[in-house]
Amino acid sequence: MAHRRCLQSFVRHATALICLRKSPPLSTLEILTTKPNPVISPPKLESSWFTPWSQFRHFSSSKSDGSENEEEVEESSDGEAENDEAAADLGRDYSPEEKEAEAAAIGYKVAGPLQRSDRVFKDYEPVFAVVQIGSHQFKVSNGDSIFTERLKFCEVNDKLILNKVLWLGSPTQTIIGRPILPDAAVCAVVEEHALDAKVIIFKKKRRKNYRRTKGHRQELTKLRITDIQGIEKLEIKTDGKPLKAAAKKPEKVATTA
Amino acid sequence: MALRGVWQLKRLIVSYCDWGGSSRGIRAFMESELPTFKEKNPQLEVVTELIRGQHPHLKGFYKNKNERVVCVKNTTPEDILLHATRLRNALGRKVVKLKTRHVTKHPSVQGTWTTDVNF
Repeated sequence: MAHRRCLQSFVRHATALICLRKSPPLSTLEILTTKPNPVISPPKLESSWFTPWSQFRHFSSSKSDGSENEEEVEESSDGEAENDEAAADLGRDYSPEEKEAEAAAIGYKVAGPLQRSDRVFKDYEPVFAVVQIGSHQFKVSNGDSIFTERLKFCEVNDKLILNKVLWLGSPTQTIIGRPILPDAAVCAVVEEHALDAKVIIFKKKRRKNYRRTKGHRQELTKLRITDIQGIEKLEIKTDGKPLKAAAKKPEKVATTA
Repeated sequence: MALRGVWQLKRLIVSYCDWGGSSRGIRAFMESELPTFKEKNPQLEVVTELIRGQHPHLKGFYKNKNERVVCVKNTTPEDILLHATRLRNALGRKVVKLKTRHVTKHPSVQGTWTTDVNF
């Protein structure tokens, strides 16, 4: 069973590679897939629609996608027992650091080292970025504070790099990501992990003798944005005039491929 | 709990009773987990205080002169460690419902949009 799953995923990889390198007509594809093993005939239909999916993944590339694929192939050969252990580990300690990196990629953050007398907190720069953390998007600038859902793998006073950046802007230039910008990064520092104020969830059905009260405190993380990279920043001179001249220039919209 | 790199919790007072049963957890916490907590947070001043005949609690004093008191009666040492870590992780601000999730002093970089703006 595990061997069959392993073989199927291996064949999908092989057919995807064949389709990416050449682009043969469907008739030759069928010939190629039916040659090695007659069992593979069901996946031959999948190979034709599998290729655009693999191309999309390559385009929207975050680097973790490639590593996740490889890990799936390796883990499926070991059997289902390890999957159960992995599911049990999800609630407890993430002992391997690779799993921490994976989960960090899901939340679109990479934890950097702790701060030791770094000059990270700069003055305000007129640059903004639209960054996504989990499912929420924020338009951030230097020195802003963001409240997000609790980020699991970082302590207070940790440096983070938010790598899912959707939009960059400055007074003279705008860069739009499709959907993300691969070279842009937003640096942030974790300020606090705290609980929100209590909200009372009150349920009542009238005339039915049903009343329930539940209290809920959401766990939040406060991030302070320190730096935005990936866009040209104007150097602020002491005179006000050069800044105004630069601001009057028409905005250039540069789209990334 | 660090505003621009500066830790906000200054003092933590661990009050316990040596006779009462509600202090069992905190007495165990003081033996097992308090030393490691102290080592992990050298910037924090942890003081143990004996109050006889009263329930145990943790008091946190923040830099903005805010006090947070957490009663830890009849709690396990792991829960007490969680409360102490939460006090250390938090800023001293008042616990109110957030107005916005994005706090900024400069809301606009390219100029606020009005109906007169033409791209």
